[in-house]
Amino acid sequence: MKGMSFRQFGFILPLLVLISVFSLWPVLQSFTYTFFDYKLNDQQKAGLYFSDRFNLELFSESELYVTLLLEEDQASVTNEADLNKINQFITNVSNLANQLGTGQEEKVIKINDEEKEAVLRLYEEGLAVLDALQTYQTPNTENLTFIIEDIQNSIIPPNFIGLQGYKQALSDTRLFQSMGITLIFTSISVFFELILGIILALILNQSLKGRGIIRTTSLIPWAIPTAVAALLWMYLYNGNSGIVANLFATVGLIESPQDLLSTGTGAIFATILADVWKTTPYMALLLLAGLQTIPKSLYEASDIDGANKLQAFFNITLPLLKPSILVALLFRTLDAFRVFDLVYVLTGGGPGGATETVSVYAYKVMFSQTNFGYGSIIVMFMFFCVAIIATIFVKLLGTNVMDKN
Amino acid sequence: MKKRTNWRKVTLYSSIIIYLFIIIFPFIWTLITSFKTSGEIMGENALRIIPEVFTWDNYTVLFEKGILGALKTSFIVSMSTTLYIVVVATLASYAISRFHFKGKSLLMGLILAVSMFPQMITVGPIYQLFLNLGWTNSYAVVLPYSTITLPLAVWILVTHFNQIPHGIEEAARIDGASPLQTLVRVIFPLAAPGVFTTGIIVFISAWNEFLLTITLNINREYHTVPVFMSFLKEQFSILWGEVTAATIVVTIPTLIIVLLFQKQIVSGLVSGSIKE
Repeated sequence: MKGMSFRQFGFILPLLVLISVFSLWPVLQSFTYTFFDYKLNDQQKAGLYFSDRFNLELFSESELYVTLLLEEDQASVTNEADLNKINQFITNVSNLANQLGTGQEEKVIKINDEEKEAVLRLYEEGLAVLDALQTYQTPNTENLTFIIEDIQNSIIPPNFIGLQGYKQALSDTRLFQSMGITLIFTSISVFFELILGIILALILNQSLKGRGIIRTTSLIPWAIPTAVAALLWMYLYNGNSGIVANLFATVGLIESPQDLLSTGTGAIFATILADVWKTTPYMALLLLAGLQTIPKSLYEASDIDGANKLQAFFNITLPLLKPSILVALLFRTLDAFRVFDLVYVLTGGGPGGATETVSVYAYKVMFSQTNFGYGSIIVMFMFFCVAIIATIFVKLLGTNVMDKN
Repeated sequence: MKKRTNWRKVTLYSSIIIYLFIIIFPFIWTLITSFKTSGEIMGENALRIIPEVFTWDNYTVLFEKGILGALKTSFIVSMSTTLYIVVVATLASYAISRFHFKGKSLLMGLILAVSMFPQMITVGPIYQLFLNLGWTNSYAVVLPYSTITLPLAVWILVTHFNQIPHGIEEAARIDGASPLQTLVRVIFPLAAPGVFTTGIIVFISAWNEFLLTITLNINREYHTVPVFMSFLKEQFSILWGEVTAATIVVTIPTLIIVLLFQKQIVSGLVSGSIKE
């Protein structure tokens, strides 16, 4: 930061450190993940590798068992040549283990082509030994098959896949379905929140008794944790004793109370309703603050000019409220687009993926399947959409700000 | 004319009552259910307003399951997040509001951008980082909370600092105070209401956080209230009695905070999002 003294820079340093480590670095890292077939539960893919690597831990384990098991099996081997073969193999395994340096701190090391060749030759040799053992009745043949396989598995091929993940994503119907669900959820819930929010703000802007109570009450749904609100609504929605589900069934919105959470349309509707309940009051409070900045004299003037309330609303309130509306819309749209807690707790993305938003899909891929590579690609698509939404709103706001000047 | 205003008032107040009813009803219904026996909750008379048998059982079971521990964890996590975020944000916002340096608008743009990130994008790498550092299942989870809370805090505080006249520092400097002294002795008392508002908003955001805790702190000991509650669900059948009782227990602290600090919360929300 130019133009700043060292001491002044100290004021923003903590902020820069926190933002860099916990916000910016993770985004770049996520971007990096998208180019790798990165899966935590797969030993061979649990890292970002451009070149061949070698799983030293697995290899030294194999060395130990090869020696143990083969020494036991030797007892049943009668042919001198086979016996030599086995002994030679044991020696080779431990030689290579020494050469590569077992017992090191590091579990995974880089290897060069020569070393890789040596490991593969050793594997071939192991297969030959297994072949030779076929003729005898040895106790450990079956186990040995796996252990010798592990010698080959110790070589970790690079898991750099470039743009393949993106290619996969482009033909991933589940991704597009979740994107569609997210868009439906976002547009419908934000639409209702805005309309109801404006109406509420207009009502609250009147001189009323008990404004404090209304304000306090409005803050409660916003202030309780989303996960808790989701559970609350899950109870009201449940097919047996859920009062809202029963009410909807009685009114005829749904056929039976069970349909609310067990059919796709019902579940989306239920999720949107819970979101509208939780955030409309918040929206109303934001818009109310905007309303209060509009000078009363404007309304008086329009009244004198003979304009009715509706005309005053469209000609005074709405244009002057536009910046507040845009800002509230921007934050609400982004929040709704990123929705996770509500859906994850209320429906878990079900029934049959009918409410699976992009966040929930990404979470499942990353943390249930531990596939961080593909999960990151899903997140990148989301990031891209968020960027587009934000740009549109900032553009709209920008021109508005210039109008004011 | 008199009659018309009366009608207007009736419509106005009845719409407000309907609104308040919609907001409050879920809580009242939950409160009622939390005192019912599980037989009654699932039975035929599930929709009765007054419980047939009044019971505290749901609450007793909940306390045995450790909701107090979860409340304690939530409190520790939210409080420590609030403290360090407020300090960091106050310093940075003061600098942004008062010092002249290049890249200031870039910095503000960056902070705004961070507040728009989908949280899911940071969770994967942070999980890896915590795994490597052995920080999972610890209170270190408050550090990545900065992604959600820091931009908000800076945004609110910059607005507040901008409202404090610059002349005051001039006077303090002539009296020989250093920038830090000026901030602590002169500006801070003036900015205290804004800082307090920021603290409340940060506290509530941290209190409500779900994703980071559920991914980074798998150990039950470190479950905050929202995560604790989401695990009441993860059973063969959902025990509504416990879920509703938990909802009530969890709503009480929120209610207290809202009742005590509603003015600050509203002003924080507004300055965080409207006055750009």
